Amino acid sequence: MAELATIARPYAKAVFDLAKSDNTLPQWSRMLAFLAVASADPKVRTLLDSPDLSAEEKSSRLADVCGDELNDRARNLVGLLAHNKRLDAIEQIREQFEEHRAEEERVLDVEVITAYELSAEQSEKLRAALQRKFDREVSVTGRVDRDVIGGAVIRAGDTVIDASLRGRLDKLTEALQRN
Amino acid sequence: MQQLNPSEISDIIKRRIESLDVHAEAQNEGTIVGVSDGIVRIHGLADAQYGEMIEFPGGLYGMALNLERDSVGVVILGDYEGLSEGMTARCTGRILEVPVGRELLGRVVDALGNPIDGKGPLNASDTAAIEKVAPGVIARQSVDQPVQIGLKSIDSMVPIGRGQRELIIGDRQIGKTAIAVDAIINQRDSGIKCIYVAVGQKMSTIANIVRTLEEHGAMDNTIVVAAGAAMPAPMQFIAPYAGCSMGEFFRDRGEDALIIYDDLTKQAWAYRQISLLLKRPPGREAYPGDVFYLHSRLLERASRVNADYVEQVTNGEVKGKTGSLTALPIIETQAGDISAFVPTNVISITDGQIFLEADRFNAGIRPAMSPGTSVSRVGGSAQVPFMRKISGGIKLALAQYRELAAFSQFASDLDEATRRQLQHGQRVEELMKQDQFKPMSVAEMGVSLFSATEGYLRDVPVDKVLEFEQGLLAYMKSEHAEFMDNVNETGAYNDDVVAEMKQAIEAYKATVSF
Repeated sequence: MAELATIARPYAKAVFDLAKSDNTLPQWSRMLAFLAVASADPKVRTLLDSPDLSAEEKSSRLADVCGDELNDRARNLVGLLAHNKRLDAIEQIREQFEEHRAEEERVLDVEVITAYELSAEQSEKLRAALQRKFDREVSVTGRVDRDVIGGAVIRAGDTVIDASLRGRLDKLTEALQRN
Repeated sequence: MQQLNPSEISDIIKRRIESLDVHAEAQNEGTIVGVSDGIVRIHGLADAQYGEMIEFPGGLYGMALNLERDSVGVVILGDYEGLSEGMTARCTGRILEVPVGRELLGRVVDALGNPIDGKGPLNASDTAAIEKVAPGVIARQSVDQPVQIGLKSIDSMVPIGRGQRELIIGDRQIGKTAIAVDAIINQRDSGIKCIYVAVGQKMSTIANIVRTLEEHGAMDNTIVVAAGAAMPAPMQFIAPYAGCSMGEFFRDRGEDALIIYDDLTKQAWAYRQISLLLKRPPGREAYPGDVFYLHSRLLERASRVNADYVEQVTNGEVKGKTGSLTALPIIETQAGDISAFVPTNVISITDGQIFLEADRFNAGIRPAMSPGTSVSRVGGSAQVPFMRKISGGIKLALAQYRELAAFSQFASDLDEATRRQLQHGQRVEELMKQDQFKPMSVAEMGVSLFSATEGYLRDVPVDKVLEFEQGLLAYMKSEHAEFMDNVNETGAYNDDVVAEMKQAIEAYKATVSF
């Protein structure tokens, strides 16, 4: 069985290309986010998973739930997904759409995990350094986790820079345990 | 009571802490999305390479084998019970490596090169990737030096050269491992380093082999790589490659090494298990499509390399020496069926095979090698002249004997010539019997075979042949020690050698009566 991400890929690419040519990237972002949230709702979920409803009924109900948030093209997307029985993939489509958009606009979301809240100055310094390293417009989100003890763990997608005291201690533990 | 172990001395701990390299570097991380029977699926890890080591929490490692668009399939090298969905996994940027070097001689290690014999850490300075590409055409040299196995039947009929791949094939419990162990024992003084790779075997069997090797003083130049039946399938799959890298260390330094894969059938089973769990399509006998490549890439690495290659690899440290890695893979057949998938594959890859037959084994002919179906495609040119000249007629005599024996069952009276040929064959076959753990030197084998080919056994009853041989060799050792040493050293065959042998055998025969 193919994974949802694999299924979602061509849809995300198509939506992105469309949005790019229309210059409606932010609008599509909003619509997809709304769709993702709506379809994740337990009540809507039961509706979408129901075997009693036809594809047309499902798509029109989901579109109704979203109301004015969707434009005609987004409604068409929902119709297409329902027809292809791919309504499950909406969340993945949104994620991949956002990845495409970040790549296009050369921005990068970076999560910085520290033991204590970063000061504005520290945060700015870190942002500038990361911007140089990744060659992207970086937006930093901070998170506080006492487990880190000191230093910081920086996460950008798959890439992780572990400069925390916890990480060093873990490495030390491992080195000492090795025979 | 809790005990301190030797590595916990504070000085050692201090040194380790000092030498620890802790700097932050960008790493690729992924999340485990599924764990099943030693196979882990990981989301993320976009930078993973094929065969790369993947690190899991708790110092556990895996090997990336399936690289797909959205996930990576990893086999776990070790205990996978502690892993669960949602844990993070990291790329290490390293292809799987094992320690190599002289420090491993005399040791028993697992498939990752960790010592499991309780003799302390290895302290090996070098490591090598387990998967390497075999030397190319330019780096190779033809096989022209012998590996003496020490068994009359093998060294005379299917001689093995340094750098050759000779398959040992036969049913279970028929003496395949016995030949391999004899081969190792005979390298005690030959300078050939041995690597014994045990795949999917009982740990008790492996312990027995190690003890046997120790008893015969052969363990000092032997490395045992053990991936027992209780080890996870990935360990059994990589063990032969790991052993091969350890052997290549010697080959690439202008030395000779002998590696035994015991056995590749079980390695193919382990690989089949991994492949099916990784959801690769099954083919014939449910093996994956690349099971031929599994063995061919392993056996290609056994080779003889020329002096230029050795000089290049060692950066000029070793000059003018060729290196070799000889491989003796073992394959187990079911009821003598050599036309099954894996046996045919390996037969076609190797430079010949030693085929062991259940009938011969049960008839008391041990080693139970079948002279008709066993061949060595390159070893003949590697034989020492002494052995080549003397053993020339042996295979023919046995082949003719078997044919005649089948016919003569129906004949009531035989003519004199046929009867003599039958009797000669019977004696040669009897002479091919040899006890386990009693390898013979070139001179011993030569003298004993010479007595058969020259007809000195004609008046010795068949059941006394081995007794005659024993007596003759004891006589040669005491009365002609210098001659024996000389033959072992030079391997020369000329009129003087023949004359001395004739004279000695006649003298011996005069002293005994059968």
